[in-house]
Amino acid sequence: MFPTSSQCKYWMFSSEEELDSLRVNANNKHIETHGKNINPATKYDIFLNPEEERLMVKRFEGHLKDFCKRFQPPMPRCVTGTAFHYFKRFYIKNSVMNYHPKEIMVTCIYLACKVEEFNVSILQFVANIKGDREKAADIILNNELLLMEQLNFQLAIHNPFRPVEGLLIDIKTRGSLHDPERLRVGTEQFLERVLLTDALLLYAPSQVALAAVLHAASKLQENLDSYVTEILFGRDGSDKLAHLIDAVRAIRSMEKTVDIAADKNLMKTLDKKLEKCRNPENNPDSDIYKKKMQALLDDEDDLYNAISAQNQEKDDSALRMSLPNSPEVA
Amino acid sequence: MDDFACPRCRTTKFQNPSLKMMVNVCGHGLCESCVDLLFLKGSGSCPDCKIPLRRNNFRVQLFEDASVEKEVDIRKRVLRDFNKKEEDFATLKEYNDYLEEIESIVYNLSNNIDIINTNKKIEQYKKDNREQIQKNKNRLGREEYEIEEILEMEKQVNEARKQAILMEESEAKKKRIQRKEALLDELMFSNTNAKNIVQTFAQQAKEEKEEELKKPPTKITKFSSGIQFGRKSQTTFLPVPTDDGPTYEYTPIVVIPNGPQPPLDEDVGTKGFMNHIRLETDQERAGGFKTNIACLRALQEAMMGLYHTKKNM
Repeated sequence: MFPTSSQCKYWMFSSEEELDSLRVNANNKHIETHGKNINPATKYDIFLNPEEERLMVKRFEGHLKDFCKRFQPPMPRCVTGTAFHYFKRFYIKNSVMNYHPKEIMVTCIYLACKVEEFNVSILQFVANIKGDREKAADIILNNELLLMEQLNFQLAIHNPFRPVEGLLIDIKTRGSLHDPERLRVGTEQFLERVLLTDALLLYAPSQVALAAVLHAASKLQENLDSYVTEILFGRDGSDKLAHLIDAVRAIRSMEKTVDIAADKNLMKTLDKKLEKCRNPENNPDSDIYKKKMQALLDDEDDLYNAISAQNQEKDDSALRMSLPNSPEVA
Repeated sequence: MDDFACPRCRTTKFQNPSLKMMVNVCGHGLCESCVDLLFLKGSGSCPDCKIPLRRNNFRVQLFEDASVEKEVDIRKRVLRDFNKKEEDFATLKEYNDYLEEIESIVYNLSNNIDIINTNKKIEQYKKDNREQIQKNKNRLGREEYEIEEILEMEKQVNEARKQAILMEESEAKKKRIQRKEALLDELMFSNTNAKNIVQTFAQQAKEEKEEELKKPPTKITKFSSGIQFGRKSQTTFLPVPTDDGPTYEYTPIVVIPNGPQPPLDEDVGTKGFMNHIRLETDQERAGGFKTNIACLRALQEAMMGLYHTKKNM
């Protein structure tokens, strides 16, 4: 039930402006913590600015879509939808410079597979990744908990796919449209593209679904207005109709903006810039990261050694054994 | 048996009453001290037939004739694999043929006739019947386990009975001493006639004895561990805990659809929504899935949240 979900409560935002300001916040916070001794006037020479971050996220959303499409075994749409939700949510609170979108992207898809009960093992999953698969598996498993934490463990996602089915059933039953099954192709195309927009974070899945159906209908030069105004909103929703029309219009206009292709040269320069300014602590190729992991391991070893030494001491005192050189506990 | 001697050191039972004859798979005997001496390294060859042997295969010789011992050993080994039961055969004749075969194998092996072919035969049988052998082994294990359980049970019963008898005896002893003391006290401090006192006490003792005889021996119904006998036939359960807290009261969920009212459960069937979806298959229905639930859910999700807005909140 969407109205009682955590998605509705915590992950719905009022406007694109709010989303933008949140992203700017994340960007500022990162620069503040990692660029203390850098002149604020020239900070964007080194760091990505919020707009550039936005472009990066957009580009990787495209990659995410392609990855899901090419995934073997083919995955259900809801996995893709859920992965998109996770990815967007993550970069509302985090900067691209802190966690590389390439890594978060695959982690989102992996987590979405689990949540949507699409059962693939990590080995099967990384078989879809080019390059060093072992490393990829490591990255995914390392980031998985981080991702869930950043999502506040609110993992249930309401996707617009089921509402579309519901609407089609309803149109077939109560509407007067001839052969509503024709709408399906257009609807699916629309939904695929709408995932790339922020509409998921602004509008309820049923609203997105309705927009998709209406869009498909208008493409076929059919008119569903009477179904919406009279049957859906007829009985007690006439005062809400204006708002819904606004929402549908906004979603459709968002969908139109998807096609603006990114400049490839710009992307290359951005990639280089990001490689320079990304947080080395979270870069699995950096020395700092390796050191950190090693330190974690050592910590565990130290802890283990301390505990075993303590236990040894207890044993000795309990047994009244005072060995001068008790053998080293490995 | 007395003139029986170890073939190697010639020690007899007469010279050494604790002489223990050991025997290995080849069927030639050796005394324990010779085994210790010859098989110091764990393996060596039989002094009679020079067959390589292992020390841990030596067993105490139970039969005077070592060849019997050998046959018993072989039989044991063969039967480990040829462990079919009569139930495994369709006819009695087949079973008898099977037993016959076992006998001939055992005979061949223990008399060194055509050993290579016989061993091949055993290998072949093992390969062909691996599953059956394993199954029967397990069954055998289970049977053995049951027997062990019964034995254990009997042991427990005996123990309990012994314990009870001991208790009774000590109780009786105590009582006797008490009575004696009471009698002495009476005789010391009472003014009545000593003869009378002795008589009343004798009377009392007699009565008590009779009473004891009348009392039927108490039947032991459980182990010392507190478990009832024959737990297979009766299973006792712990009493069901009773909860005295206030009972749960059901309050129906109120769902605010934040959208147009979706069709109700009963409408889905009657108003034609079901005409547009695939009906569930028999297999799906067996699992408890009905399409009207899926249909209702899709409709609900389509309607819910259509009024959603965060703008004026």
